[in-house]
Amino acid sequence: MADSQTLKQLVLGRKDVQDLSDTEHDLPPDLMTVNMGPSHPAMHGTVRIVLTVDGERVVKSDVHPGYLHRCFEKESEYATYTQIFPYTDRLNYVSPMINNCGWAMVTEKLMGLTSLIPKRAEYIRVIVSEMSRITDHLTCVGASAMELGAFGPFLFFLKAREWLYELLEKVSGARLTHTYVRVGGVSKDLPDNFAADLTHTLDETVKVMVEVEQMLNGNKIFRDRMAGIGAMTREEAIASGCVGPIARACGVDYDVRKDYPYSVYPEVEFDVPLGTTGDCLDRYLVRIEELKQSISILRQCLKQIPDGRIMVDDPRCSLPPKKDTYNTIESMIRHFKHIVDGIKIPAGEAYAFVEGGNGELGFFVVADGTGRPYKAYCRSPSFVHLSTAGQLIQDHLIADIVPIFGMINMIGGECDK
Amino acid sequence: MSVTGAPPTQPPAPAPAPTNTVTLTIDGQAVTVPKGTNVLEAARTLGIDISAFCYHPGLPIVAQCRQCLVAVEKNPKLQPSCQQVCGDNMVVHTTDKQSTLARKQQLEFTLVNHPIDCPICDKAGECTLQKLYFEHDNADSRVDTPKVHKNKVVDLGPTIVLDQERCILCSRCIRTCDVVAGQHQLDFAHRGDHEILTTAPGEELDNPYSLNTVDVCPVGALTAKDFRFTMRAWELEATPSVCNGCATGCNVEIHHKNGRAWRLVPRHNPDVNDYWMCDEGRFTYHDLREERLAAATVDGLPAGWDRAIRAAADRLAVGRTAGQFAVVFSALHTNEDNFALAKLAQAWGVSHFYVAGKPPVPARADGRLRVADINPNMGGVKAIAEALGITIKPVYELEGSIRGLLALGDILPGVDPAKLKELEYVAITAHERGPVVHANVALPTAAWAEASGTITNNKGHVQRMHAAFGPPGQAIAGWEVIVRLAQATTVKLAWTHVREVFKDMTAAVPAWNKLTWAREARPLSLRFAGSRG
Repeated sequence: MADSQTLKQLVLGRKDVQDLSDTEHDLPPDLMTVNMGPSHPAMHGTVRIVLTVDGERVVKSDVHPGYLHRCFEKESEYATYTQIFPYTDRLNYVSPMINNCGWAMVTEKLMGLTSLIPKRAEYIRVIVSEMSRITDHLTCVGASAMELGAFGPFLFFLKAREWLYELLEKVSGARLTHTYVRVGGVSKDLPDNFAADLTHTLDETVKVMVEVEQMLNGNKIFRDRMAGIGAMTREEAIASGCVGPIARACGVDYDVRKDYPYSVYPEVEFDVPLGTTGDCLDRYLVRIEELKQSISILRQCLKQIPDGRIMVDDPRCSLPPKKDTYNTIESMIRHFKHIVDGIKIPAGEAYAFVEGGNGELGFFVVADGTGRPYKAYCRSPSFVHLSTAGQLIQDHLIADIVPIFGMINMIGGECDK
Repeated sequence: MSVTGAPPTQPPAPAPAPTNTVTLTIDGQAVTVPKGTNVLEAARTLGIDISAFCYHPGLPIVAQCRQCLVAVEKNPKLQPSCQQVCGDNMVVHTTDKQSTLARKQQLEFTLVNHPIDCPICDKAGECTLQKLYFEHDNADSRVDTPKVHKNKVVDLGPTIVLDQERCILCSRCIRTCDVVAGQHQLDFAHRGDHEILTTAPGEELDNPYSLNTVDVCPVGALTAKDFRFTMRAWELEATPSVCNGCATGCNVEIHHKNGRAWRLVPRHNPDVNDYWMCDEGRFTYHDLREERLAAATVDGLPAGWDRAIRAAADRLAVGRTAGQFAVVFSALHTNEDNFALAKLAQAWGVSHFYVAGKPPVPARADGRLRVADINPNMGGVKAIAEALGITIKPVYELEGSIRGLLALGDILPGVDPAKLKELEYVAITAHERGPVVHANVALPTAAWAEASGTITNNKGHVQRMHAAFGPPGQAIAGWEVIVRLAQATTVKLAWTHVREVFKDMTAAVPAWNKLTWAREARPLSLRFAGSRG
């Protein structure tokens, strides 16, 4: 029969403190495996990390993405090209307009329409894309600050984000899942008084940014938690395929808007901010500067946007006016074929890419001449960035995972596709 | 093949003798086809699909719609490619300015009086007019005069309703009645933009092949009463199968959605049914939802599979050991089901074999597709029995000494129900009707559209059916029921897939030795199949 001590061990799974021998009072030398996520308040997105820790130090980590996998690529093979726009909304759901633009661009490339999109539609696309970039960065920076204990900036930034969301809702009809862009243009023109509304919103947003920068830039706690944390060299960033603010924080001068200019980006002036140290603080500073650049782009666009069509005049992809649809058989058939069979994209393959909130967001499509893709592929920056997470948190403290993950800005919808 | 007599156009046969071919150039590509081939078919072999309304490969050529006009060099005017026979060294252009414009103008002309019906039209989504307009014209309307209105609901007969406004006067339906049914029941009346399709004087569209006119109609003018306003065509999925209505075994597509068949349409097979099938066969899909046995029953009460199988094995044991036991094959079930049953019966040492089939209907036989034998698989049962050395008798000769009966299918023609009540009767069946209500144990199986298998038609073609959707409730494939029954009686039948049954069966039947099992066909979504017209 077991003695009381063994019995206690059996029942409790451990010894009582008073029963420990002198050597047993020390911390156990074994490594411990801890599960962080997939639903953790400090995790940026639904992702799980299996951590092997030595005390507080991360020895090994195993990142498990995929919790938001929605079969984007496979589903796309069973939907018309137009029906895929709503799916792209759900990729990077903090900046859906940019995803919309990327998908429109790949289909237009296959149809040879790229240079035929009306100027006004292109300007509208740039405007909504940059608004989306602002909402993206505001969310990323605000949420990361909050996760480090700075709740104020989060509320301030989300307030500004909400102003932009409200404007985007006026534009598209939906606050978050816009589905606004179409093959050949955009679905509807900008609402009345849009320029004044946006100018006002940008002015207010600038004020909020000044406040937040005052709160964070010189904040010792914030800087200590960010500087030197999760640093990556320029070579590492290139080797692992990093793009966007993360690569630029490491000094990689790559911005799709500058290097492979699309839409009307060549017609606006903006700078691409670069970092030097490639740590979390640089990523933060790059994003803050990009916010300012986006605001500048928006102001230029509002000045330069011309009047005109918002949809290319090509019966292959533009819907006929409703009046004609209801009153002539020709337009009725065309409308029907566009909606039911889908826009017929000529057989071929194409890759088109845009500068998303997190960097190069690309779509690769193999078309077989029918109304739906034979194969669709999405190059999602979040997925690439997440692949570096394991190395970045190596040898950091558990607490450092939070800013590193915040600044990687892994968006589940985009990463898991 | 006596359906159409001599087919009006022969599709180009592969590798013809050199003397009987001509070589011509279409859009810069050289093509060699048998003599007598028309330009339209020659172009199709190159993958060039010349637009056409009135041309149908199974019908006489009338060159009436003028949609297939092409430019032939050294010819001053455009030629209808359906009627233009290929000549040696002929040079044809289908994409030049002249023929492109002709196509566009013809479509514009065809659409002048076409009603704006797509949202309520049953053909929408599989309409040739929609397809050709979208591919070849796609221009806005230039008509500012009111459309000519005609009768929108004309009852042509028991199966079909005509909308005269939608009709584009291609005459495919008229020729279909003439050629497929051999009856002139449809005709045109009046002239110009008042021309209409109507029934021939004193006639009604009531021939047994009338619904083929709905298939060939390039627009929604002719609609089947059975299908109209029930389901949108583009939401359906198509699975290839074989009609189980009679021994001809017409190749069909099952059009289905969410586990329910909505219609059957013929599938081209030059050896069996060409492009056609009979109306009676089309309606057989209704039976898939009628009086189905969804759960096994023991003494008329629902039971789980385990209990039902055990009960079936126990009840049959008495008669089996005493040699008073009979097995009934079914001419309505697949080769695989019958073969599995035969193997089980042989393992049990059964000596009494019967076959159940529907009695023939001599009035059906018309020298075309319809035959007197309305069993889809009598040929298969006989071939299997012969190969396995089994003597089968018709089930109405059932001997009085029989105490136990294991029967496939839901018919036992000529067997007295009072006699059935005295027997230990186990039914393996998809339907709960007829003799099945007297069964001590009824085991539910998939119907013909719900499981993969083969049936053998009256010419000996072993034809494959693909499962369009799953069976209802607890039903499983017939051969699978037999495997379970075998396991319950410690007989070793180790098939886990119907292709294994097929493999053993084709090895056993000498005439079928070379048959192979094709991959399962995935349902084709009609939405993305394009309007196949």
